[in-house]
Amino acid sequence: MFQGMIFPKIENRILVGVLAFVLTMVLLGWAAINEGGRMAAFDETYHARSIEQGAVLFATNCTTCHGPNGLGGAKGPALNNPQLFGHDFFPEVTREINTLNVERTTLEAEAGRTDTTQDRLNQINARIQEIDARIEELDAPRRQQLASAIEKGYDPQRPNRLQNVLWNGTLESFVLTTLIHGRPVSNNYWPIGSSGAGMVAWSQTAGGPLRMDQLEDLTAYILNWDRDWTLDDLFAVQQFAIQPSDPGPLLAQIEQLQASGGELQTAVGVNVRQILTDLETVTGDPARGDQLYHSQARSFNGTTLACNGCHMPEGPGTGPQTNGTMTRIETERLQDPALAGYTPEQYLVESIVQPGNYVVPDFQNVMIPNFGQNLSLQDLADLIAYLETTG
Amino acid sequence: MSVLPFPSFLDDVKEKGLKRAVFELVDESVERLTAGMNIGDIREALRGEAPSRKPNPRLQPHADGFWLHMRPSYFHADMTGLYPTFRLGWLSTYFVFFETITGILLMIWYTPSPEVAYANMINILSNVPMGQLLRDLHRLGAEAMVLIVALHMTRTWFTGSYKKPRQFTWFTGVLLLVFTGFLSFTGYLLPWDQLALWAVTIGASMIEATPPPIVGENLNLLIRGGPEIGANGLLRFYLAHVLLLPALLFVFTGVHYYKVIVHGHSLPPKSENIGEDTAKRVPLDKRVYFIPDVLTSELMWIAVTTLILVVLCIWFYDAPLEHHADPQVTPLGTTAPWYFLWLQGALKLGDKVFWGIIFPGILLGFLAVWPYIDITPSRRYAHRRVALTIFLLLISFITVLSYMGLAKFGVVTAADITIIHELTYPPAHDKMGELLPVPYDQLVPGMYTTREFAAEAGQEAAAVSAFNSEIESNNQEQQVLNELQNQDFLPISSLNFSTVPADAPELRRVLKDFEAMIEKHKNELVNAWGGVIITQNQKDLRRVDVIISWDTVQIENGRPVLDENGNPVLVRDENGNVVRSQNIQHVFIHRDGGYFAH
Repeated sequence: MFQGMIFPKIENRILVGVLAFVLTMVLLGWAAINEGGRMAAFDETYHARSIEQGAVLFATNCTTCHGPNGLGGAKGPALNNPQLFGHDFFPEVTREINTLNVERTTLEAEAGRTDTTQDRLNQINARIQEIDARIEELDAPRRQQLASAIEKGYDPQRPNRLQNVLWNGTLESFVLTTLIHGRPVSNNYWPIGSSGAGMVAWSQTAGGPLRMDQLEDLTAYILNWDRDWTLDDLFAVQQFAIQPSDPGPLLAQIEQLQASGGELQTAVGVNVRQILTDLETVTGDPARGDQLYHSQARSFNGTTLACNGCHMPEGPGTGPQTNGTMTRIETERLQDPALAGYTPEQYLVESIVQPGNYVVPDFQNVMIPNFGQNLSLQDLADLIAYLETTG
Repeated sequence: MSVLPFPSFLDDVKEKGLKRAVFELVDESVERLTAGMNIGDIREALRGEAPSRKPNPRLQPHADGFWLHMRPSYFHADMTGLYPTFRLGWLSTYFVFFETITGILLMIWYTPSPEVAYANMINILSNVPMGQLLRDLHRLGAEAMVLIVALHMTRTWFTGSYKKPRQFTWFTGVLLLVFTGFLSFTGYLLPWDQLALWAVTIGASMIEATPPPIVGENLNLLIRGGPEIGANGLLRFYLAHVLLLPALLFVFTGVHYYKVIVHGHSLPPKSENIGEDTAKRVPLDKRVYFIPDVLTSELMWIAVTTLILVVLCIWFYDAPLEHHADPQVTPLGTTAPWYFLWLQGALKLGDKVFWGIIFPGILLGFLAVWPYIDITPSRRYAHRRVALTIFLLLISFITVLSYMGLAKFGVVTAADITIIHELTYPPAHDKMGELLPVPYDQLVPGMYTTREFAAEAGQEAAAVSAFNSEIESNNQEQQVLNELQNQDFLPISSLNFSTVPADAPELRRVLKDFEAMIEKHKNELVNAWGGVIITQNQKDLRRVDVIISWDTVQIENGRPVLDENGNPVLVRDENGNVVRSQNIQHVFIHRDGGYFAH
């Protein structure tokens, strides 16, 4: 048995070999034709299993902060959250409000221009009032409907988390990136007292415990919360993500603290007499005053003053023009009997910290009355020193 | 007068006509390429006719050509059948080349780094056309090669072909067996999945046992590239797999085959007189010429073997790929690759140094030098009872050791862990936990208990309802809820079990098995009940929590302690109350997870 070749005849060997070869090629061709479908099916299965793996990781690592259903908890915002996925429940309202806001911004810019006539200004102001009323009219019902969500931090005018944090990538990249490096929490970035601890970095790259493939699984799981959102989903959210705040004021305070060797300056307040006495102890720096005036520097508590928003170099703006301030004070303002006995310095200080006391004719009483809280003695001295250089 | 200033093809055309000139040119080229056979010779050979020219052109390629100079020009007729070689040596060689080709193709998509190796696998499976087939072929080929090489050795032992003058051929063969084993083993790590990491960790930990400790420790460092297998270890395994071991394999394959040719293929034992070796003296009437008979036979076998591999890989075999390697998660029941199971089994016999290093060393050493020990001249089966007995015993021993190497042998695992593992473990070795392949639609959200299946027929609903009251009153509900809510973060507020819906037969079957498994371990899991809680976690994603709750019993050496009546001894707290234990694990199952279709 088994002695001699299995196919003693050469033609049979050739036939079997050729058949086997042809069959192999046919099978490979058949497999190749089906590869597209096979790869797609693999992708689907792999994605599904990635979600499963992510679910396990989420249950172990994320639920204590983000809640078992991803609805947010005491420490973390909701991820199972229409806001994260950019879902707007009132897209038409949002669209109309956005359109109105664009118009409003354009009008405000026009109002700020030096060549805008008073008539046009009045028109603009009237239109802005109309716009504000319409926005309020549009927004009020939905605010009422969403009251319970708004209480937890939802802002119907900012329904898209990615837009709120100015993320220029995909949601997937946002989630993955956040998982990699965590979320920095600092009083410079988040409103003071808003959050106890920040999210830690989860990637091994950034010193965390998880591998990249695990973070990808987690991302797949988190993104799997996307669905046809309902208002009930929104109301189920326990906590919304906090919006980042302007870090400027706190940065400025830090600079001040460093400059002063640890002593934070205080605001001047609104007592003109006291301020005038105190001003004698400091020397104004016209260059810094120039920067403050033109929003190139911040006041001691980080406020951007933006004086030049209303006080243009050459009039007419919303306020009197900047150039020739001292001349006009001496030759026009102080001639007013109401201001008898005022020094130019006294007039300037009072106009800044108590702007409503005296309004220059032809102008309206629209200057913000909070500069006493936002200026230190040095800031005020610098501003006055600058104004004295304007001729 | 030549057309061109030198003799050229154009002269031939002018002289003989275009057709004839071209034919002669081609014919001559073929003869040069084949180192001696022109088209007519090839045609005659393939038609099975005798050569019409002298000297025999079919011998020329062996004499003048590179590729055939290492092949004999004729074989002994007794060697061309299935017996006695069973083509195993030839098949081993086939797999050397098959693995080289598929391996080189796979290298195109592979980077040996823990950061990306697994992602490379996913890419090969999801994004490389024919990638999965290629990987399946390479993996199946590797496992087949280990088997074939081992069978080849077995055959050689049985026919006594290792005897003088072929002792050294056998010796190089044992080396090739070792290289093949290591090649397969080093390749095991490369996908960087759980299967790879833990199988290799088991293998590499044996090396650490090499005495004295300073040698073992440093060998271990050398091979793993660190105390644990990481980036360095993976790179070393990769380099061994694609450079070192293939180089050794090719060199020794060369030596091995050279020795085979020098001594001739050993004939079937009965074909020659005792003590004679007539392989090189082939009578004229016994000669089977390489061209055309052996060559066509070999080409046929190449085509058929490749076809078989392709068929197997398309329909019946998928190379395994488990979850990403995770040094922190040790899977239950990790085993070495099957061809190293005997080693794992041996290790369960006792001392790591003896059974892990000395025993395999002696075994391989014994195999390598056996031809120099067994110097009896006869190759007849009847005269070799001792040698055949030794080898049969060896095979039996290795088989028993391999069985002992299985996870289920000699490793005592707590009953609750075993049961939960049986229900939930991720796909491994083409098997998976029973719950995973339940069709998604049959994983109906709800709470189900094994008590339903412990009840008598018709009493199921009543039993479940009684069970609900029972666990509420004896505080087991609270104990389970505490763990579910606080450790497993399952957002439920109470336990309320119900019967499995009628349209979920697969789920019903799993719960029945669950009950049977608890019943099987009733000495260890006293008064036990099992629960399965299915909740909708996300769109198309369900969470399945598996609960076992039981009265704790005293355990010794992994087995429950029994009193004189054969009943398990319960553990009691200081107040004499029974201590209730529980084990709760969960898995997530996605609609598209593909377990059901698997």
